[in-house]
Amino acid sequence: MQLLQRLGRLPVLLAFPALGVLLVVFGIPIVRLFLTSLNAPEFSLANYQMFLGQPANIRVLFQTVEISAIATFVCLVIGYPTAYVMVAASKPVRMALLVLVVIPYLTSFLARTYAWIVILGDTGLINNLLLYFGLISGPLQLIFNRMAVYVGMVHIMLPMMILPLVSVMIGIDKSLMSAARSMGARPFTAFWRVFFPLSLPGVRSGSLLVFVICLGFYITPAALGGLGDAMLSTFIAAQVQTSFNVARIAAASFVLLAIAVVVLSMLGLDLSGSAPSGQIARKSWLPRPPPFGALKGKFGELPMPYRAKRWAAHLYKAGGEERWLKIVGPAFIALVMAFLLFPEIVVIIMSFSAGAFLEFPPSGLSLQWYRSFFGDPAWYMAAWTTIQIGVAVTILSTVLGTLAALGLSRAAPQARRLLTMVILTPITIPVIVVGVATYLGLIDLGLVGSQTGIVFAHTIGAMGYVAVIVSATLANFDRRLEQAAQSMRAGPLQTFMRVTLPLIRPGIIGGAIFAFVHSFDEVVITSLVSGFSVYTLPLKMWENIRNEVDPTVAAVASLLTLLPVLWMIALYLTWWRSRPQVNLSISEAKG
Amino acid sequence: MSDSSVLKKQNSLLKIWPTTHATAGATATPSGPSHLEDDRLEPSSIPAQIEFRSVTKTYGQATAVNDLSLSVRRGEFLTILGPSGSGKTTALMLLAGFVAPTKGDILIAGKSVAAVPAYRRDQGIVFQSYALFPHLTVRRNLEFPLEMRGIGAAERAKRVDSILERVHLREFDSRMPSQLSGGQQQRVALARALIADPPILLLDEPLGALDRNLREQMQGEIKSLHREFGKTTICVTHDQEEALTLSDRIVVMRAGKIEQTDTPETLYDRPMTRFVANFLGEANILEDLGFEVESDAAQPSGTVGMIRPERVCIAATGEPKRADADRRQFAIGTVDDMIYAGPLRKYNVRVGDSLLVVRQHVASGQQIFRLGDEVKLDWLRSDVRFVAT
Ligand SMILES: Nc1ncnc2c1ncn2[C@@H]1O[C@H](COP(=O)(O)OP(=O)(O)OP(=O)(O)O)[C@@H](O)[C@H]1O
Ligand SMILES: [Mg+2]
Repeated sequence: MQLLQRLGRLPVLLAFPALGVLLVVFGIPIVRLFLTSLNAPEFSLANYQMFLGQPANIRVLFQTVEISAIATFVCLVIGYPTAYVMVAASKPVRMALLVLVVIPYLTSFLARTYAWIVILGDTGLINNLLLYFGLISGPLQLIFNRMAVYVGMVHIMLPMMILPLVSVMIGIDKSLMSAARSMGARPFTAFWRVFFPLSLPGVRSGSLLVFVICLGFYITPAALGGLGDAMLSTFIAAQVQTSFNVARIAAASFVLLAIAVVVLSMLGLDLSGSAPSGQIARKSWLPRPPPFGALKGKFGELPMPYRAKRWAAHLYKAGGEERWLKIVGPAFIALVMAFLLFPEIVVIIMSFSAGAFLEFPPSGLSLQWYRSFFGDPAWYMAAWTTIQIGVAVTILSTVLGTLAALGLSRAAPQARRLLTMVILTPITIPVIVVGVATYLGLIDLGLVGSQTGIVFAHTIGAMGYVAVIVSATLANFDRRLEQAAQSMRAGPLQTFMRVTLPLIRPGIIGGAIFAFVHSFDEVVITSLVSGFSVYTLPLKMWENIRNEVDPTVAAVASLLTLLPVLWMIALYLTWWRSRPQVNLSISEAKG
Repeated sequence: MSDSSVLKKQNSLLKIWPTTHATAGATATPSGPSHLEDDRLEPSSIPAQIEFRSVTKTYGQATAVNDLSLSVRRGEFLTILGPSGSGKTTALMLLAGFVAPTKGDILIAGKSVAAVPAYRRDQGIVFQSYALFPHLTVRRNLEFPLEMRGIGAAERAKRVDSILERVHLREFDSRMPSQLSGGQQQRVALARALIADPPILLLDEPLGALDRNLREQMQGEIKSLHREFGKTTICVTHDQEEALTLSDRIVVMRAGKIEQTDTPETLYDRPMTRFVANFLGEANILEDLGFEVESDAAQPSGTVGMIRPERVCIAATGEPKRADADRRQFAIGTVDDMIYAGPLRKYNVRVGDSLLVVRQHVASGQQIFRLGDEVKLDWLRSDVRFVAT
């Protein structure tokens, strides 16, 4: 009781457990890493000079930025019209499309990367098709080049571009467009002068998000690219695993971090300036807030179904110039959805292949790769380990992240902004840097190569997702309900259990699901801290993809494509189910 | 509602809560009265009385409530009235315990509540947005305060039934709050605040979200509930009509300070400041008229004359003098505007450099003045008030 009262007075304390874990596992190590990169205690730039003095490094650095920037740009060019058409669509259609975008987002990216190997490989789908039709005489070199890197990266990142765009576009007051039209603006002018500027926050957050992930995420480029397409993060990862020269790794990490920070602050600071009221929500350049962004969009959408409807009606009014949208829009959307989802189907078919090696379409059907998965302890034990880690991460990060969100929602605005930024650091900066820092942190704790270590490594990121999603729910939570409960003699604990918790439960469950997905799919950090003694499923898949390219990985991948369906059902049950009430209250307030 | 029906209701309620404060303890859960915390304010033993002692609340640079002193008698219906941002809600939240005073002290029943957290203060609160729990049915909402007091299920059901009856919501008990209309939600909120029989009732703009008709109806409801239950009630509003009809006393706040505290009648008839005179009803400030204002009383320095529009008579310039002409002051002006408002006619008359408002009850055979007409205004000198500027 005493403790509760004190917490009531200083709610920021609730964020301390999360901050403590973060500090030990990531915060202190990254500061040390920085000092090491500066050759502390002598302080020199020798490491950086050495790094930048090698032309090969400069080339990789430039290439990293180039690949990231182009991938981001392509995502934007495809994602913006997609989001636009989605938002203009009727509500059921939009919901269906959102589900189709979220499914690949929730699917193991290793499974999706593998799909592209199947599609682009020498005996893959495209080459076999072309050969079949006699269009080519020998297989084309479609994979292990820059093009394949872009195709794969755009495929992986596209949902993360579309979701923030949709969430921002849905919030745009559509009557503004009508107003512009009523003032004589032509459709395109109305779009360009009114809609586009208002959608810029979505463009910024989506682009930053994708760009920063591209910087640190080397798995897909490494799997689909050639030797000349290596990213800086690939080098860092390789160095951690082979020649552990902390100073050199540190310098490389901080060069990468510096690029991210420069880009973030160029676009990111501007972003926070344009968004009034220090909303956490607006920090949407965080890697992977799209689920939350979409969620937020969904909430934001509720109060204005009427306006949106009117707007959509207006948009589709059989006016001459707008008719093109009716044909081109759906066709374009269909293409994008095919690009997003087709690889998953390919993987599922591949998993029933009877051949002994990668070949598509398969020459016969069999269950051999499923048998190989369930018959090989290395595989199913890896799956079991991953589930164990995932459950532990989910519990730990849900508790820590929820407490942090509760504490931050009650803290003073400045403290809230600062601490939110701190808690979200692990999911805001290139993941390879987080991996290196966490690796050092776990060495100090003696936890490298242990499941506990991996749990902590995953938790620092996962609790960020939980904190973001729960914060979004709390932003919609009326604090007066708590006051009402207290005025009825409910103590702090009773108030929380009886009022706060039931009302923010959808957010907590959503956060827990994303925490699990994060842990279940993590490979970059895991590969650094596993110390080759713990094998998780993604690690095993990664190894398999790199070395044998044995279709067992297809069986695993197709099993993994089933998971998002489970997540969607879980999300449906927690989020959609709580919706009718909200809708009713709106129609009630209107009537 | 007629008096006899009120009495009947009262009797039936009395049966349910015979000596309510005593039953609250007696019907408590097995753990019994010891379950109640020590610092609980025992409602039966000490008369509820609220006292603000020089309470100040600042948010950074801004002062929301400034040196507020106020005491509320037991059973009184006190309204806090003031423009937006004047600190009304803050004052209420200070009392409820959701906001801690920066300076000063608040006493309830003679005891400082500085150390008493909100959930031990035992006050029924109706929030502006009602704050009904959206995840609980009407019945579960109403049971909540009883559960928190450890009252058994049977007794809870009985009390909920009776209060639902009282607020005419019997059939609605299994609805969710979102399935109720604004007025129904408001009644549930009132019922929830009353059901556990707290000695003090706090209402924060309880009728703010309702339309005019419903608001008048609910005013009657609140008034009769207050008569029945006799709870010390503090109500925040910026609706002056609501304040005038409901309250025993009204506190007018301005920029965090109390401007005047009085009964509705005194406040309207003898406002002490220009702000109060203007805020509560309409006021003619007698300045820049081109002549000195006469009054029976001497004019204190730093004040200005004021007269209510309904105290001013309007007549044609040629009309003969009245019998009490020697007790009246006259002014000649021109009609600037006329507004017809059903039973009333409102004239704006330019006298000297200022506009005076005159309110005339419509009667047959009355002369109607047009724009630009020259008219004679007159009023009793004893009706002139002096208000601080
Ligand atoms: N939590 C807060 N932080 C900073 N300033 C606040 C806070 N709460 C209230 N204030 C300020 O204190 C002043 C009084 O606010 P309060 O809510 O008491 O006004 P009010 O009289 O209830 O107004 P209204 O009629 O609009 O509800 C306002 O200027 C407000 O901006
Ligand atoms: Mg208020």
